[in-house]
Amino acid sequence: MKGSIATTDRERAAFAAIELARHPDRPRALQVINGVFENWTELRGDRLFGDDRAVIGGPAELGGRHVMVIGQEKGTDPMSRAVHNFGMPHPEGYRKAQRLMLQAEKFALPVVCLVDTPAAHAGVAAEERGQAWAIAESLLCMLGLRTPIVSVVLSEGGSGGALALAVADRVLALANAVYTVAPPETCAAILYRDAGQRARAAAALRPGVDTARDIGLIDELIPEPDPGAHAHPRVVIAAIRGALMRHLDELCACSTADLVAGRQARYRTAGG
Amino acid sequence: MARRRAPQRQLPPPGPRLRPEALGGAIECRSCGRRYVAERYAENLAVCADCGHHGNVAARARIAQLADHGSADVLRFDVSERDPLRFDDGVPYPERLARARAKTGVDEAFVVARATIDRMPVLLACMEFGFLGGSLGSAAGEIFIRGCDIAAAERRALIAVCASGGARMQEGIASLAQMARCSTGVESVARAGLPYISVLADPCFGGVTASFAAQADVILAEPGARIGFAGGRVIEQATYDSLPEGFQTAEFLLAHGMVDAVIDRRSLRTTISTLLHVYMRVGGTPPEYPPR
Repeated sequence: MKGSIATTDRERAAFAAIELARHPDRPRALQVINGVFENWTELRGDRLFGDDRAVIGGPAELGGRHVMVIGQEKGTDPMSRAVHNFGMPHPEGYRKAQRLMLQAEKFALPVVCLVDTPAAHAGVAAEERGQAWAIAESLLCMLGLRTPIVSVVLSEGGSGGALALAVADRVLALANAVYTVAPPETCAAILYRDAGQRARAAAALRPGVDTARDIGLIDELIPEPDPGAHAHPRVVIAAIRGALMRHLDELCACSTADLVAGRQARYRTAGG
Repeated sequence: MARRRAPQRQLPPPGPRLRPEALGGAIECRSCGRRYVAERYAENLAVCADCGHHGNVAARARIAQLADHGSADVLRFDVSERDPLRFDDGVPYPERLARARAKTGVDEAFVVARATIDRMPVLLACMEFGFLGGSLGSAAGEIFIRGCDIAAAERRALIAVCASGGARMQEGIASLAQMARCSTGVESVARAGLPYISVLADPCFGGVTASFAAQADVILAEPGARIGFAGGRVIEQATYDSLPEGFQTAEFLLAHGMVDAVIDRRSLRTTISTLLHVYMRVGGTPPEYPPR
């Protein structure tokens, strides 16, 4: 119906889900890292251009097992949000992630990725340094990585910017997270040529992680106590820890060749 | 006294003569406005003879431009209707697909063909920008990875000509999955030790650039093509950055080290053939892809 701007209940509910996933008090990557892992040592820089604070990473321990943790950090207050660029990585962030993943492969560390980004950063500098190239390389790097990978979608998984840390043997998601092809604002701009119709786009896109589970991009949803992770961050962080340990136990028992073949077979059919 | 005739106005040099019956099939160069008989424009590979502007080329025409004469065998796959979101933005998505099919005469935004280029076996995967903006949906991804399988099984080089706005929003998250899906196709071609050349045509954005388009052994771009991840308008709105001169053109990407060469369409076939001679070593077997 052209010209109908009235927001329906369905659209309002869909956009409320987006807003819940964007709730500022939901646990961020740094909080999850501090709560789930021990002895995390941050490693910085992509060795090519700079250090992107939207992506953080380094080795840590999880219940006696050494792992490589890489996360997208949105920040928790106005200052840290600006420092971490609201979780929107530049190419350096993806290249740093690749460097750490290859290092993890070298030392046979399983990789844990924490996904929390509205989208990869859209800006002149990001384009100049090959945002698309960095994401494309990350996809190939993760598809062929000879060590287990588990990704967790914490709150917002938006666009290729999220997928570039979510090509994994297991992809988990918090139940109230969203996983979309692009933020609803961008979708509305593309589909209706009006970013203001974001609620309409949100309703059409079915942004919930259950949609992503149905097409095979996500394996397991980690339940959140009502009204959501923002109210009970410690409970949710404990649940993430439990789920990670269980999946890593399973994956570390598999041979590397099986893991890589299984991962590639999975992404051949996901969304098909 | 007889009036002096006004001096005749100097006309621009005559272009291809427009026969009156051909006027319906006239094409105007989008850059300089010069008009061409459609056949003449196509003969010049949709490149303006005056200003060198590269016009859009449909997928089938692109295959004809690149393949040896008569060698192309366009593959058709049964791509069943996909509408994971039951998407309706005023026009139901299946209806949009039907319209796109009627308009372009192809099934999906990807057309693949077995062919030879200078007698070397290739698999051509060409994107159809006229089909919903060349957007990458589930069926298009399927066509691409099946093409990659054929390339790997029959030891053909993979040549992808990319022209796309990116992900197909109407398929939502399933469209995002195609980025990883197409990457598995590229992976299997690489593992078979076969070369992959991608050609970036105008425009090439989003999830297409950020997956298979940028994963090739050699990346060529057409002059003036607009290539990037986020579109310039999105960037202006999001960051208030002023865009530098020539931002996101093929030449800009060449200067920033993102593409191997900017190649005029009229020498594209020759360039690809030269590269294939290096990588395919006519009649020989490419070395196995070294395991990491």
